[in-house]
Amino acid sequence: MSTGLKCRNCGSNEIEEDNARGDRVCMNCGSVLEDSLIVSEVQFEEMGHGAAAIGQFVSAESSGGATNYGYGKFQVGSGTESREVTIKKAKRDITLLCQQLQLTQHYADTALNFFKMALHRHLTRGRKSTHIYAACVYMTCRTEGTSHLLIDISDVQQICSYELGRTYLKLSHALCINIPSVDPCLYIMRFANRLQLGAKTHEVSMTALRIVQRMKKDCMHSGRRPTGLCGAALLIAARMHEFSRTLADVIGVVKIHESTLRKRLSEFAETPSGGLTLEEFMTVDLEREQDPPSFKAARIKDRELIQNMGVHELTELQKEIDAHLEKDIGKYTDSLLRKASKRKKEESAQSSRSQPISEKELEMEESIQFIEASNAEVIKEFITSNTEDSKPQAVMTSAVIEGLRPDIEAICRVTESELADVERAKQPAETELFIDDLNDEELDQYVLTEQEADTKLDMWKNLNAEFLREQQEREERLAKEREEGKPEKKKRKPRKKVIGPSSTAGEAIEKMLQEKKISSKINYDILKTLTEGMGTLTGDSESAPEPMKPKTLEELEQTPVIVEEGPISSKNSRDKPNYDMPGPSRKRVKVEAALSVTQSEEQLEAKPEIAVEPDDLDEEAEADEADADVDVDPEPEPEATLQDMLNQGAGDEDDEYGYGFDEEEEY
Amino acid sequence: MQFHFKIAEPDPNASALTTTHNPHSALQPQQPAILTEPKDAQHEIKLQNIVATFSVDCELDLKTINSRTRNSEYTPKRFRGVIMRMHSPRCTALIFRTGKVICTGARNEIEANMGSRKFARILQKLGFPVKFVDYKLQNIVATVDLRFPIRLENLNQVHGQFSSYEPEMFPGLIYRMVKPRLVLLIFVNGKVVFTGAKSRKDIMDCLEAISPILLSFRKT
Repeated sequence: MSTGLKCRNCGSNEIEEDNARGDRVCMNCGSVLEDSLIVSEVQFEEMGHGAAAIGQFVSAESSGGATNYGYGKFQVGSGTESREVTIKKAKRDITLLCQQLQLTQHYADTALNFFKMALHRHLTRGRKSTHIYAACVYMTCRTEGTSHLLIDISDVQQICSYELGRTYLKLSHALCINIPSVDPCLYIMRFANRLQLGAKTHEVSMTALRIVQRMKKDCMHSGRRPTGLCGAALLIAARMHEFSRTLADVIGVVKIHESTLRKRLSEFAETPSGGLTLEEFMTVDLEREQDPPSFKAARIKDRELIQNMGVHELTELQKEIDAHLEKDIGKYTDSLLRKASKRKKEESAQSSRSQPISEKELEMEESIQFIEASNAEVIKEFITSNTEDSKPQAVMTSAVIEGLRPDIEAICRVTESELADVERAKQPAETELFIDDLNDEELDQYVLTEQEADTKLDMWKNLNAEFLREQQEREERLAKEREEGKPEKKKRKPRKKVIGPSSTAGEAIEKMLQEKKISSKINYDILKTLTEGMGTLTGDSESAPEPMKPKTLEELEQTPVIVEEGPISSKNSRDKPNYDMPGPSRKRVKVEAALSVTQSEEQLEAKPEIAVEPDDLDEEAEADEADADVDVDPEPEPEATLQDMLNQGAGDEDDEYGYGFDEEEEY
Repeated sequence: MQFHFKIAEPDPNASALTTTHNPHSALQPQQPAILTEPKDAQHEIKLQNIVATFSVDCELDLKTINSRTRNSEYTPKRFRGVIMRMHSPRCTALIFRTGKVICTGARNEIEANMGSRKFARILQKLGFPVKFVDYKLQNIVATVDLRFPIRLENLNQVHGQFSSYEPEMFPGLIYRMVKPRLVLLIFVNGKVVFTGAKSRKDIMDCLEAISPILLSFRKT
């Protein structure tokens, strides 16, 4: 069977494809061009013991290549196989879990996709796979709005529901999946079905739904488990429909404690809707919404506190204030009266002196009236201004009914206090203990005498005899191991160092680069010189040039070597940076002119030469291997950035770059 | 509605002062004379717990410390350090072999500092060459009651990237604020717990940042 293909080795067109074996062979030179072909049809063949399918089945998730047997050694280093196995296992387990939870295949697929996302972001590391699977399934349940609770899943998987909850929160947060809040209404149907209500199940659940809606309106649901609400609603609804369901029946279904259920019931009884009769409740919708019960409770507590405070603390203070006020008022009125009476006296002296006492009383009354009136006016003024103040605020809150969104800009800003922290960290702190203000006698109480210390030590030894024995045994064992020359167990390195806050962008970049080298293709020293120009970095510039020579060389030679192994199509793109690299040296300018014309020729020349150089290969072998698995994919990108940086750095001249291009010139 | 925030300052001298001075000076200007409604009261930030660490910069023999002090307990099977308690200020220290000490339970910074130094002094009295190095406040826990109900569901919906609200696990909404970096527990009844703060200022900044947000999610 000949196809339009050409043999890679001899160029012959005679290529035989065998679907049974799944390979493609050149009939001219005999080289196997391809094995494990994938076909979309199933064929069967007669075997000695009956029919069998030809070949092996390959799953849709498989990225091609060999599956599990026989080809293991060809897959070294690629890493796809392991991931495939992980995903396959996840798929099996998630499907199983979904079956146990009576979820359809659609949910399993969604959950598997969540798992793949998590796997891709390395969120599965350090977590138990059962937790991850369960969290993925729960996320699916929440996004799709099924009536599954966290505890159902943890029940099936036999894991701690809080642990599962933590995993779930971590996953959903890291994958940026905004999951809607739980709606207690979802669970009504499910629980109602289990209460053995017979034909009336639907009616009861509808009533329960109405009750839950009402509870939600009265804010009873926030901060509460949905099960508790559902339980209370179902109990009420069942009794409304003349079923004799006890608390215990409901508790058995919704799985919450009796006291919780009772509390929910009494809270509902306290709302105005709870006070309605059955018919009223089914027909009337109260407009007013209630504050959450916990809020009401807190206010009642507050009121009590204030009342108590009024009784005990405020009274004394108030008495004193009153006394002072009376004195003040007395003084004020006295002076007023004195003035007024003086004037009156003069007047009365002028006119008649018939009723001095009665007039005096009258004036006093008048003046008191005047004072009261002016006081009332001032108070009224205050009240009106207060209401004016509060009005615009109320309008504002109603305008942003959606609620304020997070302020990202404020988050990203570096505050002064952070800079101060960085500064402070640099300064050495005091080391001496300052004890002048400490009361030594008090502290002496804590210290025991010799005798007391002995008795306490004896007691302690008795109590911790077991520990002491274990410790002794361990020490002996360690000593023995040391004698035998066993190496001590190495401590594991922490996976990630925490990067502290940095004051400038340059500093942050430097820290990030120190933490992990993005690619071996980036010349970090040049990066440093770049930032130096900006005046953010210090030092290192003098020491930098020395180790750079070999590195540039390595890079230049390394690139074509990789290309030889790689697919043909990508050759050009990989080669380019090698020749386009603009060097800052004077020599470079000369070369460039020649290069731009004869680039393609040089390319052809350069490759075989490097490929056959055994010395270079050996030297680079190590570096190559290390590079290969780290940065195969992002290779083009870092090279581009390097190029850019070189372009930028061309301004300040450094001789060492010239070295690399000298080598190139020789080709 | 106006906010008056103030950190509660337990001042033992306050009562003594009021008797001698004019009582007007002891009154808060924002406070109405008669507190009839709880709404009128101030929003008071109460510090609940302070955790501080320091090092005495010398190796400690925990067995000796345990046997020579009456206020300590040491059960190496359960916990590696000596637990030492103190009456005034009421706080607890966890003392480790390396000389690192964690002082917890103090109600304010002054108490934490005083308590830490007292613990160091006790260790000094036992004959260890004690210094007082790297004293640092690690965590401040504070509470405030905002006195208005909050719609946690909406808050979680809008601020999903910072918050998590799972009533199946915890009744409050957990808000991880990025700047200042601390964690808030927000409850439906308007009570808020701050934790992870390194200073009072963090808490004040945080409250300043969060109160308009919470106000916008107020249940009316």
